[in-house]
Amino acid sequence: MPKSSIAMELTKTPNKTAARVGIGGPVGSGKTALIEQLIPALAERGIEVAVVTNDLVTKEDALRLQRSGLISPERVLAVEAGACPHTIIREDPSLNIAAADTLAQNFPQADVILIESGGDNLASTFSLDLVDYWIFVIDTGGGDDIPRKRGPGIIRSDLLVINKIDIGPYVGADVDSMQKEASEIREGRPVILTDCKKQTGIKELIDCLVHNVLFLDA
Amino acid sequence: MEVLDTVIGFASDAPFDAEIHLLSHAGKVEYLDISPNDVSRRRIRLSTDKGTDCAIALAREQRLADGAVLKLESDRAIVVRLSEQEWLAVSACDQAAALELGYFAGNLHWKVRFDGTILLIALEGPMQTYLDRLEVILAQGKVKVVGPND
Ligand SMILES: Nc1nc2c(ncn2[C@@H]2O[C@H](COP(=O)(O)OP(=O)(O)O)[C@@H](O)[C@H]2O)c(=O)[nH]1
Ligand SMILES: [Mg+2]
Repeated sequence: MPKSSIAMELTKTPNKTAARVGIGGPVGSGKTALIEQLIPALAERGIEVAVVTNDLVTKEDALRLQRSGLISPERVLAVEAGACPHTIIREDPSLNIAAADTLAQNFPQADVILIESGGDNLASTFSLDLVDYWIFVIDTGGGDDIPRKRGPGIIRSDLLVINKIDIGPYVGADVDSMQKEASEIREGRPVILTDCKKQTGIKELIDCLVHNVLFLDA
Repeated sequence: MEVLDTVIGFASDAPFDAEIHLLSHAGKVEYLDISPNDVSRRRIRLSTDKGTDCAIALAREQRLADGAVLKLESDRAIVVRLSEQEWLAVSACDQAAALELGYFAGNLHWKVRFDGTILLIALEGPMQTYLDRLEVILAQGKVKVVGPND
């Protein structure tokens, strides 16, 4: 077949756009702790990060990351969610989109922008206009019946993280059954167990991001 | 892995239509089937109908859509095929039930369409999870299911 004229006209411009990854889940489940683990582990693989945090009426999580010494402070932006933490990640994510756009513009080499939700109940989901992929974080301290309670966060997230597996024995949570039930409810979509005090599960989580949304495993 | 980072045009529009048509007759168009749930993503990894592993990574200002051409070479094209939205069709037995059903669907953030007296609920997950939520008002006879795809 002769070389297509249209195909020849299609000039190839390298098109670097940072992936946007949402991190949602109930307050206190360990979303910020997970980001604190991810930043150095991603950097180790040469993956450049920027972060947007959402808090209700403060910038606590952004300040925590900015002071952590893990990331340069300008790479972290805070968005205040006001009364409705799920609205700014789902119904009207414009403030978060604007913050992510600012980071993308200021750090064109960034590979991934992590967007931490202010924390909500099991019903929160992310708009796919805001993120390309989203993680939902629950923890053993919430009780081992949490996966059974379903909710869109647990069912629809691209990746479910069950965090704080280290404290399972102290709160009477059966981690294995949590994982098994979560996998059944999610019909086999990924579930990863983590302990953010000991980096357990962080490598597996990054492998999952690399394959499904960062595409660095060519 | 084939990285696809641009929607270069649409299979139904000039100048692509003629070329895609020829390639498709030669069996050289690969289709990427994307569900309505995923079509607003800028990044997604999936395989074509011929098994090519693809990583879609569009710029923020671009969007996937049915017929979007993501690759066009002299002897091969990759085109998006949007699968049909599935609907659960329900109807309410009277006005009071219709109010309740409308409130209920809004409260659960379901995506709906109206078709006369029928409420069409877009299925973003398994049908059973929707039926489970409706269980009480179905059992009370206030609402009935009138079809999955109607
Ligand atoms: N033992 C233990 N504590 C954790 C773990 N992850 C987070 N925490 C603690 O849980 C609390 C809430 O974590 P944080 O990251 O602020 O939760 P967020 O509200 O989801 O961002 C903090 O005191 C963390 O130190 C974990 O894996 N194991
Ligand atoms: Mg936090």
